Amino acid sequence: MSSYPDIPVIETRRLRLRGPEAGDYPDFKATFASYRSRFMGGPLNPYEAWMLYAAEIGHWAVRGFGMWMVHDKLTDETYGMAGGWFPAKWPEREIAWIIWPDKAGKGYALEATHAVRRHLYERQGWDGAVSYIDPKNLDSIRLAERLGCVKDREAATIDGSDAVYRHPAPAAASSGQLRDGIELEIDHYCDPTFRPKGMPID
Amino acid sequence: MTTLTLHIPTVEAGDIVLRAICEDDLDPLATFYAGARSHFVGGPLERADCWRLIAGNLGHWALRGYGMWVISDRASGDPMGICGFIYREGWDEPELGWQVWDGYEGRGIASRAARAARAHGATQFGLDGVISYIDAGNTRSLALAKRLGARFERDGTLLGKPCQVWRHPRASEVAA
Repeated sequence: MSSYPDIPVIETRRLRLRGPEAGDYPDFKATFASYRSRFMGGPLNPYEAWMLYAAEIGHWAVRGFGMWMVHDKLTDETYGMAGGWFPAKWPEREIAWIIWPDKAGKGYALEATHAVRRHLYERQGWDGAVSYIDPKNLDSIRLAERLGCVKDREAATIDGSDAVYRHPAPAAASSGQLRDGIELEIDHYCDPTFRPKGMPID
Repeated sequence: MTTLTLHIPTVEAGDIVLRAICEDDLDPLATFYAGARSHFVGGPLERADCWRLIAGNLGHWALRGYGMWVISDRASGDPMGICGFIYREGWDEPELGWQVWDGYEGRGIASRAARAARAHGATQFGLDGVISYIDAGNTRSLALAKRLGARFERDGTLLGKPCQVWRHPRASEVAA
């Protein structure tokens, strides 16, 4: 399936996470051309988007981890990206995510990021992680909090314009209450009869 | 730890070797991109952006199957510059590009690297008779393009900036 045999494939209830491939680029480009990307350095012009996509793939080669492309397990359609991100200038290793603008509100970011964090903790030996989030990016802040992150006001930021959300350490992330809460929420999203009212969340 | 293994060939050409870029090349790359000579090739760039160039260089190989190598000294292993093929979004077609890092200019390194990369591209990547985009003010690269047998083809633009398009001879023409 994957053109990168070295990048592990992660499967969740609805999703399959694989290394980012050339064929997945158009969706990435469209998202980074949109205001959806305004909290992740965008919108980007086509050159900038291509360079970022290439860097996301090369990040795997340099760091040994990186961002996965999030696919629908049944249709293979892409929904966004999630993974580990640690380019130069980042104070700490980050868990990051982005969901394509028309795929938000179905819990894909929660499901993907929950699986990615578990993989990085259990298979790659991470002892913690942060997420750098623009203080105006309320959707991502909500997601971080649902994942059990806590705002860390003491931690170094990338450039002073971002807030640092610290993920629970491996023991806490795998503990019953937090994990069960996340998985119950994912259950709801997987349930076709689940029709939540109110504002959609990632 | 997982590692993404890319299939980047090593090309040996006399006293230089073309090899895959790695994170250890960041210091000379950042030094070059802090200097004035980088203005012809997208600089100046901060160190963190140079790190992304390294990651992007490796991603280019993954996405296109070819890319740019680091030119290293065969005897010492010192990294001396970059040479190879560039086909990012915004490029009309794959380009042969080069840059020589500080302290290694004037030794014919770019010339030998460009010939080796061009020959390898023609036989291994199907990239024959490629172009080079060159800033009209970059007299040293223009002179090198002429020495390599490239011909001025047209005035063009790259990423919105004017530049010249030079066309390299095909491998069959170089050999003849």
